Amino acid sequence: MSEFVKVCAVSEIPDPGKMTAEVDEAMVVLFHLDGQFYCLDDVCTHDGGPLGEGQLDGDQIACPRHGARFCVRSGEALTMPATQATTSHEVKVDDGQLFVKIKLT
Amino acid sequence: MFHGACSLIFESMWARLFNVGVESAPDSIERFTDTDRIAFGCPQFNQKKSMQASAQIAFDDASFSAFLASRQEPEWLATQRRQAWQAFGELDWPNRSHEEWLRTDIRMFGLQRYGLDSSPPESVELPQPQLAAGIELGGATVSLDSSSVKSQCEARWQERGVLFGDLGKLVSAHPEKIQPHLMRRAFDVNYDRFAALHGAWWSGGTLLYVPRGVVVDEPFHAFSAITDGGVDLGHTLVILEEGAEATLLSETASLNPTAGGMHCGGVELVVGAGANLRYVNLQDWATGVWHFSHQKAVLGQDANLQWTIAAMGSRLAKVNQHVGMVGPGANCQVNGVMFAEGRQHLSYHTLQHHEVASCHSDFLYKTALQDRARTVWRGMIKVDPQAQRTDGYQRNDNLLLSTSARADSIPGLEIEADDVRCTHGSTTGKIDEELIFYAMCRGFSRREAVRMIVTGFFQKIFDRITIDSVRQALGLAIARKVREYD
Repeated sequence: MSEFVKVCAVSEIPDPGKMTAEVDEAMVVLFHLDGQFYCLDDVCTHDGGPLGEGQLDGDQIACPRHGARFCVRSGEALTMPATQATTSHEVKVDDGQLFVKIKLT
Repeated sequence: MFHGACSLIFESMWARLFNVGVESAPDSIERFTDTDRIAFGCPQFNQKKSMQASAQIAFDDASFSAFLASRQEPEWLATQRRQAWQAFGELDWPNRSHEEWLRTDIRMFGLQRYGLDSSPPESVELPQPQLAAGIELGGATVSLDSSSVKSQCEARWQERGVLFGDLGKLVSAHPEKIQPHLMRRAFDVNYDRFAALHGAWWSGGTLLYVPRGVVVDEPFHAFSAITDGGVDLGHTLVILEEGAEATLLSETASLNPTAGGMHCGGVELVVGAGANLRYVNLQDWATGVWHFSHQKAVLGQDANLQWTIAAMGSRLAKVNQHVGMVGPGANCQVNGVMFAEGRQHLSYHTLQHHEVASCHSDFLYKTALQDRARTVWRGMIKVDPQAQRTDGYQRNDNLLLSTSARADSIPGLEIEADDVRCTHGSTTGKIDEELIFYAMCRGFSRREAVRMIVTGFFQKIFDRITIDSVRQALGLAIARKVREYD
């Protein structure tokens, strides 16, 4: 059973901005957007590309390989060539620190 | 990397290599820093490593010098190791901008987590070998965490000039046999950083040398095991002189089926003119082990090689398997059996290189995947301009046993001669529900039906394997893994 793991101080991620991290042996991307934090697997479901290296555009992140776009808030695949959502993980802020709970799939 | 559940670790090397890090939105100031990759969690792992830390030799300059001094090897070998270590320092870690690594993510691999164990456990219960059940062996080696714990060759073969045993010991005793081949034609330390690491630090491993014309009719068996968090850097060198014949069964295992660890290995098969080698390699590490291996065979004129690979274990495996046909009339058959489950990632890159005329190569890889496993198979038939009358074949079949498994299959041809026959193919599919229904109508449970169908999927490979014990071991290993089909 996964638990919340402290990742960093919220001040370390600019708004808007993103940061890649390794949490419980999973590579994830953390997003800071309009004061909210989100966390997705650092994996494009089309070809396994590193989403964390892609361009952040509003609430969308574009895979640097083939341009598939994902919703930062939900992980939903928004454009081809990706058709499946990437995993979204639970995030919470406590005392200025960011915590992530890895969703086990 | 892991440093308690709550601490922040900076690791500049990885950030540079993989270009990961903090980035602001396009309209803000970008900041990529060297101190931006962080790792959290996994306290259990920390505990294991900290318990072992005192006995481990890190992969750094100071340790390398001490390692060399402790080996007391011939100067030519020490020089070879130094050159490899220099290459290691000059090379970067592979990253996903390289075609070979595009689909294989090693960002969570950290070499600094591992080290050679200077004091491996003195008595542990090793797993039961799978390949050698019920057969008379010509010799056997066993290693634990890259240290030889058994090395034995039957006297009747020694009397005929056969050398079999721990490569680390034999390399000093028989340099005249080994020096012309060790990491010369069949291993390139400059290929990538893992090859360089292996070239510098290899320890343990197996040598099989069969002199000219000697036919060994008993298989040899090599068994490598690692402890939890352990490292195996074993090197396999097989030298068959002209007209020789032998069989080597090689397998790996972990003491704990869910343990971690690292294997960074190399295999060199040098098959002389008219020689005949059967080589079987079963990779069955625990599901936490990182497995990196460079394997190459060089075949002389009219040489024959039957090479069977079974990839069952490891967390992530990245293997380069290369057969170079350098003598006319050489013939090779490669059989690959892969079964991936959980979140395993198995990546195999094969190259059948026709360097001269009239050679025949036949690669068949079959893969079954379940859960969220992923495999990558990338095969290439390369035919040089002078390699006329080449006959090359490669095929990869994938059977998906779950909707969330994924197989990438990339066969390729690179042909520069004009009188060749080269064919390749790839299939990927799932089990036909009608087949399952058919079997269940005749009294099989669903699981039994799936198991039977999966076994049938691999049957074509089993039919090509001429060693009964290997065929049975692989069949059992696969049958054990098959779960309910979703």
